[in-house]
Amino acid sequence: MGLFTRSRPIRSLLCWLLLAPLIALNLFPFAVMLSTALRPRDEIFINPQRWLPSRLAVENFSDMWTSVDYGAAVLNSLYVAAASVALVLLVGIPSAYALSRYDFRWKRKYQLFLLITQMVSPIVLALGLFRLFVWLGWIDSLDPVAIVVAAFNLAFSVMMLFNYFSTIPRDIEEAAWIDGASATTSLIRIFLPLALPALSVTAMFTFVEVWNEFVITLTLVRSSEHFTLPLEVHALASNLYELKWHHIMAAVLVATLPVTVLFMWLQRYLVGGMTAGAVK
Amino acid sequence: MRERVSNPILLYPGGPAKAGEGGLRGIFRMFRVSRAFWLILPGLLLTALVIGLPILILIWTAFHEVSRFGVLLSFNGFANFADVFADPLFYAALLRTIVWTAAVVLGTLLLSLPVALILNEDFAGRGFARLLILLPWSVSLTMTAVVWRWALNGQSGLFNHLLLQLGIIDTPIEWLGTAPLAFTVQIAIAILVSIPFTVTLLLGGLSSIAGDVYEAGAVDGATGWKSFRHITLPLLKPFVNIAIVLNVIYVFNSFPIIWVLTQGGPADGTDILVTYLYKLAFKFGQLGKASVVSLMMFAVLLIFTVVYAALQMRREEA
Amino acid sequence: MLRKCLSSILLATALCSGTAYAGDVRFVVPPYSSETEPFFKEVEKDFEAANPGINLVLEFTSWETLNQKLTTDIAAGSPPDLALIGTRSLTDYAAQGVAEPLDAHMTPAFKEVFIESFFSPSMIDGKLMGLPFAASARAMIVNKELFEKAGAKPPTTWDEFMGAARQISKLPGTYGFGLQGQGVEVDAYYFYALFSFGGRILKEDGMSALNSPEAIAAAQSYKQLIDDGATQPTPTSYGEAETFALFKQGKVGMVFTFPMLIPQIKKEAPNLKYEVLPIPVKTTSATYGITDTLMMFSGAKSKDEAWKVIEFLYQDKYRAAFDEREGLLPVTKAVAASDYYQKDPDMKAFTALLPVAHFAPLIPNFDQIADITVRALQRVYLGEETPEVALNRAATEIDVLRKK
Repeated sequence: MGLFTRSRPIRSLLCWLLLAPLIALNLFPFAVMLSTALRPRDEIFINPQRWLPSRLAVENFSDMWTSVDYGAAVLNSLYVAAASVALVLLVGIPSAYALSRYDFRWKRKYQLFLLITQMVSPIVLALGLFRLFVWLGWIDSLDPVAIVVAAFNLAFSVMMLFNYFSTIPRDIEEAAWIDGASATTSLIRIFLPLALPALSVTAMFTFVEVWNEFVITLTLVRSSEHFTLPLEVHALASNLYELKWHHIMAAVLVATLPVTVLFMWLQRYLVGGMTAGAVK
Repeated sequence: MRERVSNPILLYPGGPAKAGEGGLRGIFRMFRVSRAFWLILPGLLLTALVIGLPILILIWTAFHEVSRFGVLLSFNGFANFADVFADPLFYAALLRTIVWTAAVVLGTLLLSLPVALILNEDFAGRGFARLLILLPWSVSLTMTAVVWRWALNGQSGLFNHLLLQLGIIDTPIEWLGTAPLAFTVQIAIAILVSIPFTVTLLLGGLSSIAGDVYEAGAVDGATGWKSFRHITLPLLKPFVNIAIVLNVIYVFNSFPIIWVLTQGGPADGTDILVTYLYKLAFKFGQLGKASVVSLMMFAVLLIFTVVYAALQMRREEA
Repeated sequence: MLRKCLSSILLATALCSGTAYAGDVRFVVPPYSSETEPFFKEVEKDFEAANPGINLVLEFTSWETLNQKLTTDIAAGSPPDLALIGTRSLTDYAAQGVAEPLDAHMTPAFKEVFIESFFSPSMIDGKLMGLPFAASARAMIVNKELFEKAGAKPPTTWDEFMGAARQISKLPGTYGFGLQGQGVEVDAYYFYALFSFGGRILKEDGMSALNSPEAIAAAQSYKQLIDDGATQPTPTSYGEAETFALFKQGKVGMVFTFPMLIPQIKKEAPNLKYEVLPIPVKTTSATYGITDTLMMFSGAKSKDEAWKVIEFLYQDKYRAAFDEREGLLPVTKAVAASDYYQKDPDMKAFTALLPVAHFAPLIPNFDQIADITVRALQRVYLGEETPEVALNRAATEIDVLRKK
């Protein structure tokens, strides 16, 4: 249907050739991470540079891990991500359910409101948030970070859930009501199990976003014991007198790889979700 | 570019939820109005508190003299506004923000369109190619920027090494040492990380164009470039518009790339509004001025959001 | 936890704030190197063993966010008990009345521990607002091998320094002088030249002296070195770490630096033949010195316990360990008299410069003044502006801040 009408093998070759420069640029940072994370300390600032180290310095990972207490950062990131995802689902499911099942007066207004909250970036509000939490006496803790990040991710999750919820036929719940189940019971017993796939995909997308969050954490967290992964990496990279790039790249790899794998698997749903929307 | 995953589904608000009418359903409906209110209340409260309160605080702060320790001293009218408008660094950052946003958004679009068209073709290993194109989306901007900062090191960076190996350059380049070059590099990286989202958006648009439109076109003699020019592009236009508006919003707000690579330097030559704002607020403790800049940026964002909403409505009506 | 905190937000109360109890001593420490955290954790363990009932809570935060953290804590009404700060920030805290005068706690015996001259930067309006904790004076380190190869002599005067830089740059792939043009200490790197030329940061009346003939000449000489190719190309992409990396690689002949570089060189480039020398002299024998201060907050919740921590920390055993591990210069008499600082030639060279060290002036808004200075210098190094134009404008901008 498209631009090239040649035979499939030639077309395939052509497509790959055209995409190659971009793919190479996308893979380049990963090559840099790997190449640097696996070299000994004295092969960092070398000139001329080379790709392969003289030996594989796997000890970089354990050295880095203990010297900055990276395990704590992993736990902090997991905590914030889990708390945020839980809060987003807890608050987001009712909102999305209301949007998909009820027709109420300010439905459009609520949608517009959600849209605006999604457009506002944390950086613009950073100072206001900071003053808010100082006023509450609740600075330098991970809980406010989780709440703020949840709020900024709510709109995305609500609209994503709403879209899936709308595809679940309402007859099923209405049948349950007629059988005498209360609305709440039917929501929990009948509706949510049906929506489980959507819930998990939404949860995982939120997870990836929270995992990578930087600005809010940078603003609200001070002590290194509360650093999340992006903050810890940023701190390592802004060390004044000595940049241990082999440690920094090891840290980046540890933080990035699991999420990248998760994302590779999720991206099917991303494109799929859009197509589904477009077909409607 | 994105700080958060942009919401593809937001493109399709409204949805199919239509309330029943009359009879038993009418009673349900009355009942539902208040129930719906209770259901959306938690979400409303959360966002109103986290996003609404800070805005009020910013407005309040913007009209006060603030001490270095964040204590509001006295109401000072528009003095903070005057301070901002008297600061040459503000104008420089504003101008650079415009260049930054325009260059990244246009660059992203120009590259994403062909990539999306290719990915829409049927070819061997398409799924894998798509995965590789979307790869940067999974890495946090902070981490990406940290990796590039090291890769772009003049003496020992692997980027110079690669270009030397390929024979593209013959002496190492100090990518981040001079502002114009550093800014160009930052724009390029920003484009690179914005492509995945834009391509995804456009792919969604392309897949919505039904095959029979092309078949009908082919009957009329529209193939290849002609079919692209007269069928694909017009049908894709709403998606392109949305990609532009969303990217403008994300790029305008983008902080980590410039912050990590140069912190706005050298000589403030890569400062954009967000980095200028962050320095005012958290480095120099000029909270009054910083509040003013925040509010102005918020106003700009609001305008773009309205534009986006309008585009959205038009799409739905169409 | 989240739900609890969410409800507390709704009530706008501070249920979740702070975990400090009476008997806790909160101590904010910005790390100097990867040695800092382990050192303080050992102190914590020993202190708590020796003082049951007192809980020492260490809060590590980077130098970059230090003032921000303290500012917020103060604004939120929960300052820590103790903090380690750059002495140049002390005025800001003292002026706002949040620093605790320490005179009442000092005993004559404890006073005897310190090298007397280090008290003066912490005396504000006749009161002692903090204790000297760390000191470093900067010096020049030269790569002896490169000097031999180029047939140059390690310089003592500024003109010899310029000549040597040019001469070494003639060697292939080598630069005479490593000039730092990016990062936090661009201003410090310029102050070496400024002081050597007889210039100063502030005039007698407290206004900026960056527009003085000496200051302009000092910037001019750096710019000259860049133009002559006697520094690494594009200094504005070299921060502290990158500049010193060049030295460790043996690619530059001379850098100005602090004692902390020595242990790094020994670890990473053990074969490098280096020597520590004074900063070359134009008209004045001088260097830039930095001191850090241990301060107590007037809002501290457990002042007596905090003072016990201070006394514990200044025992010779801990002071010696801290100074040696961090590569800092001693502030106490006993450590200064120790073998390490008396016999080690590198340390001796650094310590010898302390008497001629100029310290950063104690003025408010120093961070912003530093930013203005750095911007002007970068414009000069990039060739965007002449030293006269850039420094004159910087002086004007600084004077506006000084008059506030």
